[in-house]
Amino acid sequence: MSEGRIIFDNVSRFYGEVLGVNRVTLSIPPGITSLVGPNGSGKTTLMNLMSGLVRPTQGKIEVLGIRPTQPERLFRVLGYSTQFDSYVRGLTGFQFVYSFLRLFGYSSKQCRELATKAIDLVRMGDAADRKVAGYSKGMRQRIKLAQAISHDPKVLVLDEPLNGLDPLVRAETISLFREFAAQGRHVIVSSHVLHEVDLISDQVILLSNGYVVAEGKIHGVRSEIEEHPMQILVRCDRPGALASQVFAEDHVVEAKVVDDGAGLLVKTRDPDRFYRALNRIVMGGIRIEGVAPTDDNVNSVYDYLIGNEEPTR
Amino acid sequence: MIRLWLVQITSILRMEMRKTFFARRGLWVYLLALAPVVLFAAHSATAPRRQARLARFAAEHPVSKWALLMLRLDMTREQVLKKLGPPYAAQTQIYGGHRGQTVRHDRYYYTDGEVEQILTFVDERLTRINRVEAESLSNDSTILATIFQFYYLRLAVFFGCVGIFTNLFRGEMVDKSLHFYLLTPMRREVLLIGKFLAGLIATVVIFTSGTALQLLAMLWQFRGPALTEYLHGPGWGHIEAYLGVTALACAGYGSVFLAAGLIWRNPIIPAAVVLIWESANVFVPLALKKLSVIYYLQSLCPVVAEPENDMSLPLRLLLSATEPPAVGFALSGILALILILLVIAALRARKLEINYSAE
Repeated sequence: MSEGRIIFDNVSRFYGEVLGVNRVTLSIPPGITSLVGPNGSGKTTLMNLMSGLVRPTQGKIEVLGIRPTQPERLFRVLGYSTQFDSYVRGLTGFQFVYSFLRLFGYSSKQCRELATKAIDLVRMGDAADRKVAGYSKGMRQRIKLAQAISHDPKVLVLDEPLNGLDPLVRAETISLFREFAAQGRHVIVSSHVLHEVDLISDQVILLSNGYVVAEGKIHGVRSEIEEHPMQILVRCDRPGALASQVFAEDHVVEAKVVDDGAGLLVKTRDPDRFYRALNRIVMGGIRIEGVAPTDDNVNSVYDYLIGNEEPTR
Repeated sequence: MIRLWLVQITSILRMEMRKTFFARRGLWVYLLALAPVVLFAAHSATAPRRQARLARFAAEHPVSKWALLMLRLDMTREQVLKKLGPPYAAQTQIYGGHRGQTVRHDRYYYTDGEVEQILTFVDERLTRINRVEAESLSNDSTILATIFQFYYLRLAVFFGCVGIFTNLFRGEMVDKSLHFYLLTPMRREVLLIGKFLAGLIATVVIFTSGTALQLLAMLWQFRGPALTEYLHGPGWGHIEAYLGVTALACAGYGSVFLAAGLIWRNPIIPAAVVLIWESANVFVPLALKKLSVIYYLQSLCPVVAEPENDMSLPLRLLLSATEPPAVGFALSGILALILILLVIAALRARKLEINYSAE
């Protein structure tokens, strides 16, 4: 089971007396996994632990069955684009990707091919022969991404990879992540931008003050937050009639006709039972135009679980 | 596996060389290495003029070599003047003594064209005879040995290694670029060896070139039989030994500061501690001497830099190599020391973490 997953088993990491992460237990499947949390919540620490850049104070970590203490095995399968905006001095974009590929033991020809391929994937071919020091922030971000993907890793760890990218490149980069995930690889992304997380993630890990407060598919996480009933907007022709019928259900805690009078906002503790009830009600003649949960997203989950510590929306 | 390690080490060397040799902030290392070359070059360049000057004085105030050798301390000024005649130059100074008395110091300069002899009289009595051989190879060789041991090994190579080797890891921590190496499928020990070799090649090239240029600058003024005799005698052996000792100094101090750069955040503190330890080497017991690089290097130097009587006490202490070990022992001793330091550095590198915010 652990062969194809990233496993954290009761992992804690302290920096002196400062908590990095505490008692983290995770089993991350392939796909795009977003680490979400405010500054200092432990996202980067989790990524650094995964890649062996820092070591756990206690607990055990395995990435596809490999311990981070075995860099010669780990980095054949893992690529990491860190948050550090710093580079080896004096190198061009191509030399930067090529030079570190040489450390993988590839031949010079293979390195040239792999570097060119990775640089083209991030659309940096035109600037590859310019010094990295002269790049814009977005270009530096992309060349860093090229370096992380150049050896074709099965696990791609990306710390704030979309920072500094313009909207077009951002969309291209997200599509690249999707492509990677579709090939059965792990893409672990940390981000402050919640709507992007919502857009790209197969699953999320919510962190706060070094603790994992929730993990899993975003809808699964949402449905487990019992103290905040799920809000579902039902667009229909007779919201008043619908309200009187849904109130007969014991799991419905609130129903409110929306301002335009063309829908009903229902709060329910059990969405599955609500959807079944709605099917029955529809048979009674109310015409439903649309049903959509309104707080089944990372934003709401974040609000409910972490609340006042604001990331970028 | 070994092939992979070799490829990785070669790749590290390629990247590190660029940084070490051509870094603008490393310019001072070149200045340290080349400073004595400037001294010797200037000395060699002015040698013919000095020789011509002494020859002119010898012709104007002829004195025999034999007469100069016959001088004894405590002779009176009159006796000396009677024996040698008037000097080609003289200085007189009157100092205030106890209870209003005065003391007269006379300094007389004589030369036979090859040796300059400076005689100091205090109250008409000869109290000191300084012989300065104008341009002799053995004299210059002793000067080179003194500069080599006192300045070159203890200061130039020492601080050059501080600058280059502590930067190999610590400098990249400060630049926040070390993690790129740690995110590759490479053992930390291989990274350490690669970086050590990169530092070693850089320092050996810079400092052995400095040594070679010093020797060249020193020998430049000597042509003909004196040079031939030197090169057919101990000359080539000296040159090899100086270059070898320089390379060993780079390896020795390099391993010290590579380990220091991995253990301490601020390299200034360990550098100061090691500098004091190396300087205090003469005072510590034999067992502790073996923990210093200079102890082994001094005994491998081809010319012993004997402290002269008129040297200051600190300089005399620095130059006195007590109980120098045999060459074989010194060689194996320093290699063992380097190995121990590299093992310590490797153990530290294995536990190395990236925490740039703490830098």
